[in-house]
Amino acid sequence: MNASTVTRQPASGRPVLLRWAPLLLLLAFAFALPLVVRSATYLHILILLLLYAYLTTSWNLVGGFAGVLPLGHAAFVGIGAYTSTVLSLQYGLSPWIGMILGGMISTIVGVLIGLPTFKMRGAYFALATIAFAEGLRVMVENLDRLGPFRLNGPRGLQIPPLEVGFGRLMFAEKEPYYYIILTMLVLAVGITWAVSRSKLGYCLAAGGEEPEAAQSLGINVARLKLIAMAISSFLTSLAGTFWAQFTLYIHPKSVMSLDISFEIAFIALIGGRGSIAGPLLGALLLRPVSDFSRIHFGDTLPGLHLVIFGVVLILVMLYQPRGLQEPLTRLYRRGMQRLFGTGEGG
Amino acid sequence: MIHLLEDTINGVLMGSIYGLAALGLTLIFGVLKVINFAHGSLLMVGMYAAYWAVLLTGVHPYLALVFVLPLMFAFGYLLQAVVIQPIFKAEREVREPITVIIVTTGVWYILDNLALLVFGPQYRNIQDNPLRGRMIEAGEMLISVPKLWGFCAAVATAALIWLFLQKTRMGRAVRATSLDRDAASLQGINPYKIYNIAFGLGTAVAGVAGVALVPFYNIFPTVGVLFDIKCFIIVVLGGLGSIGGALLGGMIIGVIESVGPQFMTATWTEAIVYGLFLGFLFLRPSGLFGVKYDW
Amino acid sequence: MRLLELHRVSKHFGGIRAVEDFSLEVQAGEIVGLIGPNGAGKSTLFNCVAGVFPPTSGEIVFQGKRIEGRKPWELCRLGIARTFQIVKPFASRTVLYNVTVGAFATTSRLAEAERRALAVLRTLHMEEKAHVRAANLTIADRKRLEIARALATRPRLLLLDEVMAGLRPTEVDEMVEVIRRLRDSGITFFVIEHIMRAVMALSDRIAVLHFGHKIAEGLPAEVARDDRVIKAYLGEDYGAA
Repeated sequence: MNASTVTRQPASGRPVLLRWAPLLLLLAFAFALPLVVRSATYLHILILLLLYAYLTTSWNLVGGFAGVLPLGHAAFVGIGAYTSTVLSLQYGLSPWIGMILGGMISTIVGVLIGLPTFKMRGAYFALATIAFAEGLRVMVENLDRLGPFRLNGPRGLQIPPLEVGFGRLMFAEKEPYYYIILTMLVLAVGITWAVSRSKLGYCLAAGGEEPEAAQSLGINVARLKLIAMAISSFLTSLAGTFWAQFTLYIHPKSVMSLDISFEIAFIALIGGRGSIAGPLLGALLLRPVSDFSRIHFGDTLPGLHLVIFGVVLILVMLYQPRGLQEPLTRLYRRGMQRLFGTGEGG
Repeated sequence: MIHLLEDTINGVLMGSIYGLAALGLTLIFGVLKVINFAHGSLLMVGMYAAYWAVLLTGVHPYLALVFVLPLMFAFGYLLQAVVIQPIFKAEREVREPITVIIVTTGVWYILDNLALLVFGPQYRNIQDNPLRGRMIEAGEMLISVPKLWGFCAAVATAALIWLFLQKTRMGRAVRATSLDRDAASLQGINPYKIYNIAFGLGTAVAGVAGVALVPFYNIFPTVGVLFDIKCFIIVVLGGLGSIGGALLGGMIIGVIESVGPQFMTATWTEAIVYGLFLGFLFLRPSGLFGVKYDW
Repeated sequence: MRLLELHRVSKHFGGIRAVEDFSLEVQAGEIVGLIGPNGAGKSTLFNCVAGVFPPTSGEIVFQGKRIEGRKPWELCRLGIARTFQIVKPFASRTVLYNVTVGAFATTSRLAEAERRALAVLRTLHMEEKAHVRAANLTIADRKRLEIARALATRPRLLLLDEVMAGLRPTEVDEMVEVIRRLRDSGITFFVIEHIMRAVMALSDRIAVLHFGHKIAEGLPAEVARDDRVIKAYLGEDYGAA
């Protein structure tokens, strides 16, 4: 008997195509959606949904797989947004290049935060990430310039919509933004999938669950967490540039507030940290709550959605600590079984 | 020069109130070994409770303590018993239940946004109270009276907690649980009850800080976030779990905030406080007093 | 050939001398047992060898190389693996996942790591449990999983920390059998064990630790006759009972 037949169980009776069909369908649906949804408002909401799914997927690489709790990812959003915006406003650099540069800065920053804290209790890392993100926001709010770069303090930066086009990452319609963030999301999910099936993913999960045992198996846990943090902060930062180019106006509160950090973490935790579907599911369930509450109760009941998030988070932690993806995946599998009658469990 | 001294004194006084707030956090950490991320929100609840007590009954602001203290104790006790305890029980074997941090973060968000829903975003303060803006003149210096009282409250609370932990039966049970939960439960101590009590006490201390702040401080739904982050910084400076460290750490932050603006803009001093915190994390994570835990 | 050498290893915690001047040699292909009453310093000594903390003084030599103070993951790469007295499975994952993590110590490819993990599971007769979540295993299976995971790293030396504790007599016999078989395949064992019957049957040589000092070393039969050993054990056991 071949070893891989035991592990991968290539869907006894179910053809490979059928296994991937739901995923492909979902993808096709996502790409076709703007053909149906013509309303700019709804498209805007969908873009935000994808953006948060992307942010949460990026967060999940360190917050889910590495078993730590980063609560300051807004810092990387901010670094990404400010880097590309400053460089494009002052030096005419394409935001695409700024995006990569911002990602590199975020990577360095992420590693610097992780370096002292990954060796300590998890709470220290959580604290350090909050303090860093808030510290950075306060600093930017107080800086009109940083060396040669104009930051404009609390007033923020406006991006004049002069040159439209792919090279400038700026468009008159919302559709291109939709496709860009969708592509970014697909890439991020792909990276997560690859990581989860690699040595890195296995060892990260092991180190997150039982650090001592993992170390005895040859895993330098702190180092792997740094690698995860580096990838995560890089990806998160790209979304910052996207956000800046989408809204054409950034200020410290809009790209670096604690609320962003927390919403990312909450979506991941409610959806299910450490799984691939969790962040997507979380964003799908929670973003509409956010938008609906902001549109309908924004004036009368501000913060309603955050109360709901908090309550849902606590309930999920109490009754489904691995997130909502777990019961839903089980349901999905059972449904597939009933539909196709295959006896696959794995 | 005289200004520097004046600022330093007022900074120490204000800082001791920060320390008082952090005291509750450090107490809860000492026993439960988790950081209560909702601590600032509990302080916010304490401030609103004191505010409404004064507004509705017209009593002296400090008399609100009679009402706030038991309320906050009960609130903390129940919060731990109902929301946090089930997680402790489910994750008994986990060395550091990160889920508890997550849940307290959820509590933070619920409380802050409930306050926003119920009381609205506006800043509130008790306009006509006998302490507002009161100053003592000491030579050329002006010293804030409510801050002075806050300082006294901080020192008294720290002393009372110390006495409670050292001299009472219950206090010894708390310390035993803090040292070794399993050994304590073998001695017939119910650790979960101790957790409830410690959480209640920590919350009550946040209530004391709230009462001390209300006569001169603005009250708004996210006031807790400000204090939350300050409390984290203070306990890391002073060493997690150390009572004296919390007070001293608070005073250091207070002095930086109060003296700093003489040399730079006020918000820059805030950034410096964050920098100090990160510096400590890098160089001396066990804090000033070097309390050694197992990290 | 000497695989592991301990030269006058001491470990102090503050004023407490947990291990004092301990020397021992383990030959390749041997099974060496380390016994001693509770609190004798066995675990401390073990942790020094496994890199949990460095010894206060003394030398630890593995395959001719000084290794004291090296980190656990470095030691694993050199060929030293260990199990934990209180088992530490990756509880939310399957048995196969657990062992695959170990196998990743010697390969980077998932398919290859899984293949090696399954091979290890087969030698331990655990292959039917490959897809069971580790949290749902019996204590005996958890102990076997600890060994499987360590074996998957392809060690030359395996440190076993009380793998028999909590097992039923038949399970102990099975475990003795498994360890003997593994030794025959070329792995050297250094074993802490409390269950006398098992350690006597298993070990080629035994060292006895008492209050941090080595009080005896030799063949199982010699050690069992040694006066000081009997006194150390009976003194403690009878006193405690």
